[in-house]
Amino acid sequence: MNRFAPWRRALGIAVAGISMITASAALAATTVNVWCWDTNFNGAAMREAAARYNRDHPDVTINIDVSMSQDDIRQKLQTQLLANNTQGLPDIVLIQDDVAQKYLQSFPGAFVPLGDSIDMSQFAQYKVAAATHDGKAYSLPFDSGVTGLFYRTDYLDQAGYKAADLQDIDWDKLIDIGKTVKAKTGHNLFGLDLNGDGLIRIMMQSAGAWYFNKDGSLNIVDNAPLKAALTAYGKIWQADIVKPVSGWTDFTGAFTSGDTVGTVDGAWMVGTIKSKPDQSGKWGVAPTPKLAGVDGATHYSNEGGSSWYVLSSGPGKDAAIDFLKTIWAGDKDFYQKILVGQGAVGTWLAARDGEAYKSSDEFFGGQPVWANFSDWLAKIPGVDYGTFTAEVDAAVVAQLPAIAKGGSVDDALKAINDQAQQQMQ
Amino acid sequence: MNALALARRPLVYVLLSVAAFVSVFPFYWMVVGATNKSADIVTGKPSLGDSLFANAATFFATVDVARIFWNSALIAVVGSLLTLAVSSLAGYGFEMFRSRFRERLFALMLLLLSIPFAALMVPLFVMISQAHLTNTYAAVILPGIASIFIIFYFRQATKAFPAELRDAARVDGLKEWQIFLYIYLPVMRSTYAAATIIVFMANWNNYLWPLIVLNTADMKTATLIISALTSAYTPDYGMILFGTVLATLPTLIIFFLLQRQFVEGLLGSVK
Repeated sequence: MNRFAPWRRALGIAVAGISMITASAALAATTVNVWCWDTNFNGAAMREAAARYNRDHPDVTINIDVSMSQDDIRQKLQTQLLANNTQGLPDIVLIQDDVAQKYLQSFPGAFVPLGDSIDMSQFAQYKVAAATHDGKAYSLPFDSGVTGLFYRTDYLDQAGYKAADLQDIDWDKLIDIGKTVKAKTGHNLFGLDLNGDGLIRIMMQSAGAWYFNKDGSLNIVDNAPLKAALTAYGKIWQADIVKPVSGWTDFTGAFTSGDTVGTVDGAWMVGTIKSKPDQSGKWGVAPTPKLAGVDGATHYSNEGGSSWYVLSSGPGKDAAIDFLKTIWAGDKDFYQKILVGQGAVGTWLAARDGEAYKSSDEFFGGQPVWANFSDWLAKIPGVDYGTFTAEVDAAVVAQLPAIAKGGSVDDALKAINDQAQQQMQ
Repeated sequence: MNALALARRPLVYVLLSVAAFVSVFPFYWMVVGATNKSADIVTGKPSLGDSLFANAATFFATVDVARIFWNSALIAVVGSLLTLAVSSLAGYGFEMFRSRFRERLFALMLLLLSIPFAALMVPLFVMISQAHLTNTYAAVILPGIASIFIIFYFRQATKAFPAELRDAARVDGLKEWQIFLYIYLPVMRSTYAAATIIVFMANWNNYLWPLIVLNTADMKTATLIISALTSAYTPDYGMILFGTVLATLPTLIIFFLLQRQFVEGLLGSVK
């Protein structure tokens, strides 16, 4: 029996040796390719993460490609997955939350369910919900589009309002405030673009609703939060406190130029607002107003925000998962760095204990803006964005002019339902 | 000059001025924007600013300018030459040589024009990737070489090419390829000039297809890279417009260069 032992041992050592050589060779050659858009925001955050990971893992090369726009990335992903050719696709890709379900449902198996290896309870639950399909969580949640009411404190001051007057209010109250401010200062409350329904979506999600039922079917006509949102939207226009704008530059120009009082948007708007340093100290952020008379209405909502997905076809996917787990779900300092550097509000909840999140911002009159945002983001109601959000958005936008003119909200809901139904077939 | 004509003249000028304003304004806005800060552009500042060099510096720091313009130029020049060579030959052939199926084949080709590119994209991508050509210049250039529109354009132009010239050349003993090269090509200078403008612009501005087949940043064209700059939470419009001005220059140059030849070609063509 012992006769074979030395032979076996030698063989064992040889096999172990070979496997160690191949394993280390595989490790040495590991490259993780990342696609994301916006070099100053997503790109910068990813570069910081890569640099931190490389301190302990110098053998992994992380290539970050920021040469595409968000639309470009969608187009390429879709074409290649449709053509069933994953050659040239990255290991990690950034996808905006409200389109993620489309990819998860259309291309089963294309993405790695990260919930299997990373504890998703450490993240804001609305972000996890957006990337959950068939009970599995697929994304590493990144930035939050947690919303707030950004406003010019000096304009409100002139009209006799204090910051406390904007706490815990509903949209009707905000409209009243807007009317008074306009009467006293001449400034409109918001700039609104009839070609976009961002505000409606913010209002709707603040009450935990979206366009769809659990089974994916349309939920429009009897959707109380949506109805309340459209009603509030109509009232804002009817109150004559809106500057009509067209397109994104016009929209952001309305409040950065000092023309309008403010805007309700995601935390990422901070960068745009701060692009005018001469307005430092003149801005404040209040919680998002509530929808009046709606069950489940809150002061917390979301607009935009994206998450990282790992492609199952990627040759570097194991290293990619380890990278995401180590830095994006484990490095508190990293999140402080990207908050200060890029204004990126992460959704890894432990990051909130860090120093940067607790600091106040002189631009916003010394308010603890980031502590507020991170407090709010944990309370955002989770919704399932489904696969047809873009189609329903288009149907909603088609009805906005009528609603702004004071048209019937019930008629609009019916029209939205009809158009969306047609699009979804 | 009668009263009606006198009354009409100011009206014509007003209409022309409006049309000129509408077509020139985007250029004006682009050039002015390249000299302004992003924050000023967003608030609609219509006058020249002092940030041209700052925008240029940001653009050169953000983008590998030499690389993307080299990629664009290579694709546009090689692509245009090949498209003109292949498509003009085809257009010439369609008009000059008779065959039983000529008209039916031509009609079929024109029908194909109506298929949108988006519908052909996925199968075309499968073809290119199976030929292992993804992320190469060839992948961008090859599918456009046989351009139905340019074939159609050359066939129409060839109808004006005098058959007597060809017959005389045949009598003089020229072979068919020599007729094309030494008689047809010089005579059709103006057509080639016009087609060059169209093809060069199409190649230079091409967006969707290069986006699909080019994967790495070092292969991408100026159009792709500059367009991607707009996809940011806080885009730097001054820098983007500076890039746009740069990217517009080659097409402008080609246009003005060839416009002169285009007119000369017309003047010197067969009467």
